[in-house]
Amino acid sequence: QLDRGCALHTAARAGLSSVPTRDVPAERPRAVFHTSESDPAKHTEQHEGRLYSIPLEEVKAVFPHGLPHRFQQQIQTFHEARVMVRRPALELLAYLRSSNLAHPAVRYVIYGERGTGKTMTLCHVVHYCWRQGWLVLHVPDAHLWVKNCKELLQSSYNKDRLDQPLQASVWLKNFKTSNERFLREMKTQKKYTWGKRESTEEGRPLGEVVEQGLARVRSASDAVGVLLREVRLQSHRGSCRLLVAVDSVNALWGQTTLRREDKSPVSPEELTLVHNLRKMLRNDWSGGAIVTTLSQTGSLFKPSSAYTPHELLGKEGFDALDPFVPIPVGNYSAKEFESCYGYYLERKWLQHEKAHTEDGKAELQFLSGSNPRQLDRLAGPL
Amino acid sequence: MATPSAAGLGRRLRAWLPRIMPVRWSRYNPSYLEPEAKKELYQKPLEELTDEEREQMELKAVRPIKAAPPTLSSSVFSDPMISKFTNMMMKSGNKVLARSLMSQTLEAIKRKQLEKYHKAPENEKETIECNPYVIFHQALKNCQPIIGLSNITKGGKTYQVPVPLTDNRKRFLAMKWMITECRENKHRRMMMPEKLSQELLLAFNNEGPVIKKKHVLHKMAEANRAYAHFRWW
Repeated sequence: QLDRGCALHTAARAGLSSVPTRDVPAERPRAVFHTSESDPAKHTEQHEGRLYSIPLEEVKAVFPHGLPHRFQQQIQTFHEARVMVRRPALELLAYLRSSNLAHPAVRYVIYGERGTGKTMTLCHVVHYCWRQGWLVLHVPDAHLWVKNCKELLQSSYNKDRLDQPLQASVWLKNFKTSNERFLREMKTQKKYTWGKRESTEEGRPLGEVVEQGLARVRSASDAVGVLLREVRLQSHRGSCRLLVAVDSVNALWGQTTLRREDKSPVSPEELTLVHNLRKMLRNDWSGGAIVTTLSQTGSLFKPSSAYTPHELLGKEGFDALDPFVPIPVGNYSAKEFESCYGYYLERKWLQHEKAHTEDGKAELQFLSGSNPRQLDRLAGPL
Repeated sequence: MATPSAAGLGRRLRAWLPRIMPVRWSRYNPSYLEPEAKKELYQKPLEELTDEEREQMELKAVRPIKAAPPTLSSSVFSDPMISKFTNMMMKSGNKVLARSLMSQTLEAIKRKQLEKYHKAPENEKETIECNPYVIFHQALKNCQPIIGLSNITKGGKTYQVPVPLTDNRKRFLAMKWMITECRENKHRRMMMPEKLSQELLLAFNNEGPVIKKKHVLHKMAEANRAYAHFRWW
């Protein structure tokens, strides 16, 4: 065990020698690729390639939904949540820090090939905004709203649209867990009537709208629409800062696999949830930012080699999101690979004897092509 | 077969072909050599080679080499026992599925053991084995029977006679029992990796249905030891 630590020390030192080690204690080689800075606001280029940990209580509060499944399994196995600080995330954080909230919301689109870390970059940004006290509207995967829907109801508000009670209620429940404070403080601006006997008066806290959506599942999609509208108006007025974080945004402008009872296909704009979310993604409000991710993995009717915004969003989506700031995310650099490999070794995730040798490391790098997802899949059985 | 050596070499090395051909045989001329997958042999400098290895290298310069089978791998992580197990798990040639099931099983074993490791107190941490390969090999070793039974017909009656088993047969029986057990005695909705990881961990601790089957076989052999002299080989 001792020589493993020493070998790691020299190998990692060679990769990270240019980085000043001001927050690293000298005796412990493990901390070369870790950083004790758990506040994303203080992450700079010096922390690039290092892993920072999020306390487990915060993980439950910030990410009731939204973390990738493999990462959740990793949190459970290692009893800690470590996220790597990478260049695209640092770029985004710098833009958010220097953005003028009086101007209309800027749209950022994170794109890249499969398995390069787009969702994790989004989660890093969400954590930063939550820490800064922003109101975070996190839609974990827009693809879940356009496929595999068991119940489609005709919307009572608009005859042409269709409601999705199950998806809406699940999302409302998770939204409530992460934003309790805002739901107590923010008040409605208008009276909303939910049916013959139920209505929410003006000036009531927004938490009541959410409770209404959870209690009466039939009106959950309308509750989501009301919530989005209220939150947008309030942040436009300046009472809070809003972050709209949507993963797999290309689902909103593609095709759906849903059908009505008469087997006619449903297009995305006929769904209430999608319609309201599209209104959020327009840049006609100010006081916040919109960060989105493209994803081919859950997408419908898109080839697996498509990853650029134009291919995945199509003409309609691109025109709707234009102008946006594109943020490409790539595979691991040499330093990031060293850091990830060292972390797996330290957590005893790589158990195979040959995985500790130089040959094993070279083979892992070659087989995965430094792609984060492939490395994770390869290191699983080893 | 355009070998550079004379026709005499070909005639001398052509095997004597019996009239009845066995099912598994090779069409290669005996002059063909096996392919070498390990990199270390080629990276050694000339001085370190022993005489036999030097002879082998010289032979490789003149003799043709057989084609490498798809299962031959130069990866440092390849394990012949794991490959054999994967092949036995494969159905209708779907090696991709069998291999992914195997890797999911190894990952499941590792996760279960790591969770146990992190929860255990300091003094017990060394006793918990987290390496899925060590667990796999030890579990299969624990499942191998020492003695087997064979049907021998004598005087019109068939007896179950205790008989020694070769290493290959022992390994095959252990793997076969493990796979059959996991395919048959599981809940309809349970996934194979989960069930396999459970059974392997039980076998590692010398518990579970496969070990029980081995013990039943041993008891039968012990019960029939009177017929042991029926064996003539």
